[in-house]
Amino acid sequence: MADTVSDRANSTVLDVEAVRRDFPILSETVYGKPLVFMDSGASAQKPRQVIDAMRHCMEHQYSNVHRGAHYLSAATTDAFEQARDRVARFLNAASPDEIIFTPNVTAAINLVAHAYGRAFLKEGDEVIVSEMEHHANIVPWQLLAEATGVVLRVAPVEDDGSFRIDRFAELLNDRTKLVSITHCSNVLGTNVPAKEVARLAHDAGAKVLFDGAQAVVHGPVDVQDIDADFYGFTAHKLYGPSGLGVLYGKLDILNSMPPFLGGGDMIDKVSFKGSTFKEAPHRFEAGTPAIVEAIGLHAAINYVADIGFDAIRAHEAGLRDYAHERLSAIEGMRLIGTAPDKAAIISFLVDGLHPYDVAAVLDRQGVACRVGHHCAEPLMDRLGIIGTVRATLAMYNTKAEIDVLGEAIEKARKMLS
Amino acid sequence: MARAEYEDFAETLEALDDDMRFEFLLDLAKKQDATDFPDEWKTDANLMHGCMSKVWLVHEKKDGLHWFKGASEAAIVKGLVHMMVQSFSGLTSEEVREISLDDVRRLNLGALTFQRQVGMMAMLKQIQKMAGQPVAREAAGA
Repeated sequence: MADTVSDRANSTVLDVEAVRRDFPILSETVYGKPLVFMDSGASAQKPRQVIDAMRHCMEHQYSNVHRGAHYLSAATTDAFEQARDRVARFLNAASPDEIIFTPNVTAAINLVAHAYGRAFLKEGDEVIVSEMEHHANIVPWQLLAEATGVVLRVAPVEDDGSFRIDRFAELLNDRTKLVSITHCSNVLGTNVPAKEVARLAHDAGAKVLFDGAQAVVHGPVDVQDIDADFYGFTAHKLYGPSGLGVLYGKLDILNSMPPFLGGGDMIDKVSFKGSTFKEAPHRFEAGTPAIVEAIGLHAAINYVADIGFDAIRAHEAGLRDYAHERLSAIEGMRLIGTAPDKAAIISFLVDGLHPYDVAAVLDRQGVACRVGHHCAEPLMDRLGIIGTVRATLAMYNTKAEIDVLGEAIEKARKMLS
Repeated sequence: MARAEYEDFAETLEALDDDMRFEFLLDLAKKQDATDFPDEWKTDANLMHGCMSKVWLVHEKKDGLHWFKGASEAAIVKGLVHMMVQSFSGLTSEEVREISLDDVRRLNLGALTFQRQVGMMAMLKQIQKMAGQPVAREAAGA
């Protein structure tokens, strides 16, 4: 796939109406009302560029990869590996060999917990996560702790959702072997200073993994600049297809790790006396991968690059600030997560109302939000709340939609009070 | 008696449009708030598992009839709980056993979303379990 970049790249101005026209689903109506989609943090909608690329593959090119002795297999393998190369450039990885395709971020973190954790961590070693992790970045470490005696330590989050680097640093010691922290909270929007976290972790002799599921959507990520040892993200939140995630890992670390899943495509030689394995990334990609999805991710990255992160960040910052201002004007509004450095993820509660009821009224107004604990129950416990309503704002959202959200919340207050 | 209330709920829901159903549920929630469900009944043992918002159900058998009471944190779910416990209280064991998934489906119009419809089916099964009866299943071939 050619990575053409149009003249709208590098612009700091985002033409939101032009962007919206690229997303067919945004012209749908629900309950007779225009769809206001504010659940991109759970999964983003797809531009027709992604849909077209996947359709084109299935209609003209599709075959299995890495094994066929025929034209289509070679063409699909080429497209699949180009997608890997595109992901490498997107993250500024040193090599495409550092990009492993996984089913999602959950699988990426589990891969590290199994293949790295069980090989290199032992009883008494410490793994640090934060209070605002998604369950996907808690449970794999708990399983590792049960299996190996590794100790899980938890970096605190402030009442406003801020992440204080000094409080994180207090947890580091010579037993710290791995730091696994979100790059951007899926509930609070809080951005974590990844470069500083990595520097401090490395000074303590630990490796560092970032859960980039939310972060890669909102701004550029440079794994070499951050000096991340591992970095995970998923295609479906980045306007790409579901079923495909990415694990970046430094090549020497990956090649030091034993395989996680065994099967086809990851072996060098198999016999009943024993098997030997390929190097990264194929060592960690047993079985037929998500082929069409990888081609879809390539198109999604091209799409985002074409819009440009300068424009996306400026647009989303404007939406975030406007949403905070508009929602704060509502009586009884409680914004959850107001850290100074945060993405356009707006969690809130309305005094006296159950979040499920608020979300139900919003739904009837055509506003799609997520409600609940957002797979972050320890964070809910820390904040003393049962859950939140969450509106995540993406490149295709508008200020007019935030007004619809605000009016729908006001309607919920009237109906439910 | 319960059947009369059930018919009343089902026919009302059928007559209303979606927005009016929503209002109807919220009115039922207010009625449910007025019923007696002391906080000491809100125990883990009485909690239904797997619901998006907490639902508690209690059961009592008196003079051969089954009586249910319920509570929830969320208003819309309270309205659904109200319909269920009002509809299916005051029945004999045999009558509780005979409640079908289709009976609940008529009330599903009030659930508005698929997830809450699933929740109502779970509530029926819980009611039947509490009454010591086998839980309703889909008819063969359905």
